[in-house]
Amino acid sequence: MKEEAISVRGASAGESIPADTPPIFELVNVSHRFGNMVALRHVSLRIASGERVALVGPSGAGKSTLLNLLNGSLHPSEGIVRALGLNLAQLSPKRLRQVQRQIGFVYQQFHLVNHLRVVHNVNAGALGRWSFLKAAWSLVWPQEVERAAQALAQVGIPEKLYARTDQLSGGQQQRVALARVLVQDPVAILADEPISNLDPERGREIMDLLFRLSEEMGKTLVVSLHAIEYAYTHCHRIIGLREGSVLFDAPPADVTPAMVTALYRIEKE
Amino acid sequence: MAHQIMARRPDSAPLPVRPSLLNGRMVWLLLLFLAIAWSLAQANVVGRDLVNPGGYTLLLRFLQASIRPDLSQEFLLLTLNAALITLGYAVCGVALSTLLGLIGGVLMSEVWWKALRASGGGRGNHYAPWLTIRGLFAIPRAIHEIIWGLFFVNILGLTPLTAILAIAIPFGAITAKVFSEILDETSRRPLEALLHSGASPAKAMLYGLFPLAFPNLLSYTFYRLECSIRSSTMLGLIGAGGLGFELLLSLQSLRYAQMWTLLYALFLLNGATDYWSGLLRRRLGSVGQVEFHGLHPAKPMRPPRAQGAVVRGSLFVAILLLIFSLWYVRPNPGQLLASQTMERLAVVAANSLPPDFGGRGPDLLRLSLQTLAMSILTMTFASLTGVVLSFLAARNFLAPGGILLSGDAAWGWRLMGGGVLILTHATLLIARSIPPPIWALVLLFVLFPGLIPAALALGLYTMGILGRLMAEAVENLDERPLRALRAQGAPGPHVFLYAALPGTLPDYVAYTLYRWEVTIRETVVVGIVGAGGLGRLLTEQLSNFDYRGVMATLVCYLALTFLVDLLSAAARRSLR
Repeated sequence: MKEEAISVRGASAGESIPADTPPIFELVNVSHRFGNMVALRHVSLRIASGERVALVGPSGAGKSTLLNLLNGSLHPSEGIVRALGLNLAQLSPKRLRQVQRQIGFVYQQFHLVNHLRVVHNVNAGALGRWSFLKAAWSLVWPQEVERAAQALAQVGIPEKLYARTDQLSGGQQQRVALARVLVQDPVAILADEPISNLDPERGREIMDLLFRLSEEMGKTLVVSLHAIEYAYTHCHRIIGLREGSVLFDAPPADVTPAMVTALYRIEKE
Repeated sequence: MAHQIMARRPDSAPLPVRPSLLNGRMVWLLLLFLAIAWSLAQANVVGRDLVNPGGYTLLLRFLQASIRPDLSQEFLLLTLNAALITLGYAVCGVALSTLLGLIGGVLMSEVWWKALRASGGGRGNHYAPWLTIRGLFAIPRAIHEIIWGLFFVNILGLTPLTAILAIAIPFGAITAKVFSEILDETSRRPLEALLHSGASPAKAMLYGLFPLAFPNLLSYTFYRLECSIRSSTMLGLIGAGGLGFELLLSLQSLRYAQMWTLLYALFLLNGATDYWSGLLRRRLGSVGQVEFHGLHPAKPMRPPRAQGAVVRGSLFVAILLLIFSLWYVRPNPGQLLASQTMERLAVVAANSLPPDFGGRGPDLLRLSLQTLAMSILTMTFASLTGVVLSFLAARNFLAPGGILLSGDAAWGWRLMGGGVLILTHATLLIARSIPPPIWALVLLFVLFPGLIPAALALGLYTMGILGRLMAEAVENLDERPLRALRAQGAPGPHVFLYAALPGTLPDYVAYTLYRWEVTIRETVVVGIVGAGGLGRLLTEQLSNFDYRGVMATLVCYLALTFLVDLLSAAARRSLR
């Protein structure tokens, strides 16, 4: 794999971060198309270890596409995506899986297996490390229960360890998804609109939890958000995406109301 | 807020109590193992030769004939004629059963009686007639097409009408039940609006309910056509003509080359019908739900989508096919009213009551238990093989672009994935196209007669049907958890274990239990080639015109059927 440094455009991004820190994620002139639809155009950015980055912008701006590129779920139509210093498009499936084990993902719709007990959904975070036999036996007699219970305690629902996942509320299910990421213990967490399916109160709790976990454990966090206020209060950096391009990339203090208005402006024909 | 959440330290609270392994599911699992062990004991598998090594040469000759079927013009014409007869019976049978199903479905639906009551000002008791009609339809449903066929042969002789009625009566009763469930599950608001504005119940249903229910009714009708082709082939085995009849003739005269010509025609006919029906069901948006209405009360009915060229074209072709079938097989409905028919019916009725259990009580009990054991072994085999094959056959798994084979996998892997897909689909199609009695006769080349070859024959056939339906269930699977586990780097087998299997297992269990109810009725068809159980006794009694004995055997069959229905419903309820 090529690992030499690449000169980065959009250098305004790195203001608060020392330039010599190796980036965890790096996009070099990345474009992505779905058929005829261009989702991202010529995006370059780097995200350093320990940074908390908010992706904001209207629906269809390319936030989800960007997140899916970062963990190799998608490969770019053009350009290079590096995670942990490796070009994801050039990895063998096995190497790619090893990189993906270091990247947790939290989804808008939780993506849990409804029919399983909570403990199995939490343990699913450890599947990358477990042998097949251990994984199979755990479905009959749950393994590493203490660790799962600890993760559930960290997200505030220790009593739900053996509950059926589909019997939990939406907020509780997102907590289970967070516990799954905790058990996975990645170096970076990607979150794709993690609170859009929750009511405001539940959403605030989940966001507080997510930011706190990333801060306490020093994990890099990239989160796409509909509600920009959380970006102001919790992130080092806000990236505004509009129609697949980076409109601004700055620390919260430098993001003015005018920039936000321009981001969400409705084009008049 | 965040501090409160974090304040609960892991070590402050004890772990929740681990739930006991001995729960409802485990009890059912234990019962299942016991049932399988008991069935194997019934089949006498221990200390007895199962395989007849002397039959290998015969089997080899049969298999070798597959590459050189009889393609003489004369025999091809015979095959074409036989295929059209089988198709004709199936189409006429389904048409008549749909008519019966529409009438019965309305009368069996709760919504019709409610509408009647509403328009009558809320007076009158609708519960009694509703329950009576439900009860009346339960009996024809419990009796297999083959038994109806054997009955009508005695009344009408070997005429096209026999085959058509044998299909239409049990199918009509099943269709009525499913139609009534579809009507009851369809949104009632438009109907209620029409009733409140003073429309008569019949008109209100025609305008307010049927248009909404139509896509689901149509889906089910086409699913029944698939089943009907298989039943029509089986009816050939009792002499009604068509592919089944010719197959039996060729097999008995050891003309394997001819047999393979007929088998290929059978695969083609079944394959084309299944493809057509599957395509239509996908267009109508009711894949995988059709046969199993009522099993998923949580899933709302999908919105009706009855537009599109495929749907209109299918309806048009179906009508043409019905006209052609009526012209080709020429059933004579006048036969039903002929004086000869009435006389025979009177004779049969007089000779069949009361049922004669005579001195055969213990014998009947033994054969009933054998039949039950056969059905359990059949389902064990069919559901285990069906599960494996369904994952290989599902378009969203091994196929290129599927969950386990990403789009950018090496072309060799993609080729293999596509190959496996085609091979499994072919295996399932072949398994369900060949009627179980023919499977039984082929298996008897190399196996000694007994419950095992009978169960294996029925099991192969059932595997073909179950595997296809389960593959549709896999294709309907919620893929998001799978993609989530893949995205965090979990290996394929682990993803399968933690996301694919738990997502589909409830459907598998429900399908298997449902199919068990069908299989207990179907055990009779392997009986007609002497494979044991009540079916064999029934065939003997019918050929001896021992109608009172027949009635006694039928009573046993009905009892078994209701027992299995009860067990299956109880298991499904507790496993939901």
